[in-house]
Amino acid sequence: MKLRVIEVAANLMVKNDALAAKLRERFAQSGTLVVNMLSSPGSGKTTLVEKTLTHLARAYSVAALVGDQATANDAERLARSGAPVRQITTGSECRLDASMIGKALTGWQPERLDVLFIENVGNLICPAEYDLGEDLRVVLLAVTEGEDKPLKYPLAFNTAHLALITKIDIADAVGYDRAGALRSIEAVHPGMPHLDISARTGAGMDAWFAHLEQRIKAKSLVGAR
Amino acid sequence: MHEVTVALSLLEGVETFARAQGIERVTRVNVRIGALSGIVRDALLFSWDVASAETLAAGSELSVEEIALTVYCERCESERAPVPGSGLLCPACGLPAPRIVSGREMHLVSLEVPE
Repeated sequence: MKLRVIEVAANLMVKNDALAAKLRERFAQSGTLVVNMLSSPGSGKTTLVEKTLTHLARAYSVAALVGDQATANDAERLARSGAPVRQITTGSECRLDASMIGKALTGWQPERLDVLFIENVGNLICPAEYDLGEDLRVVLLAVTEGEDKPLKYPLAFNTAHLALITKIDIADAVGYDRAGALRSIEAVHPGMPHLDISARTGAGMDAWFAHLEQRIKAKSLVGAR
Repeated sequence: MHEVTVALSLLEGVETFARAQGIERVTRVNVRIGALSGIVRDALLFSWDVASAETLAAGSELSVEEIALTVYCERCESERAPVPGSGLLCPACGLPAPRIVSGREMHLVSLEVPE
């Protein structure tokens, strides 16, 4: 059998990127700030999002999508904030993609939202590859994790806009090496802003809320134009 | 970790291209996968065999070219391959070089088909 080779040159991410661009356009028109939260499992993401939704809901229209491989526990916890929450059960998928976001928004009126939080599946590898149409990609690093996490998962930290050092209230107890963690972040994303926070004690949360409110206002002005 | 999905989107790409070109059978699929893509080669090969069964690419060989991570160092004004585990540091001058040049690829490069 004679064989020949035919060039295709197709990027497999094109479909996701195109869907993400559509989402981004839709949220630009509505002036909705979209925040994609990335982290390892157990970094305190759900607690942080719950507290953040509760705080922002006082002044803004907020909602959340939460990706989870199996259970609805995280969605139930987030719903305690009073904000509308939708669960995306990903099954074997280790990340959310733009088509999942599009489907989860069906029948909703996200156009009325000031902020949409997307709590990604706990994983620092796969979610980093998938654009969800977000404005703000936030990566979490708990003080209980290794300070070298950014070096192990460079793409997640390289593509994020903001790093949150979480569980800062127990930093001393677990021997957190602050200088080492910041050095790791600088090695993959020099100059990326970072905040030390504790969702449990509230430490640093005001700075996080202020950062978000600044972004919400900037985005809503763009949408109103 | 998402090899099954990658195999399925790869199959979709192969089928779409083959249909448009009137190709009835594919014997080999050449792909390029970057080191940062989080794809495990063996898992992708296994997923491909399952995904492509009973399609025009059934029994085809998936040939994976793994692309190493390289970054552009502004100080050295050149492309460098960071030492694995060092993040995105330039191995020559030691400064962070956050501009990724290669390593994020997930490309369907070419198909081998019977004449």
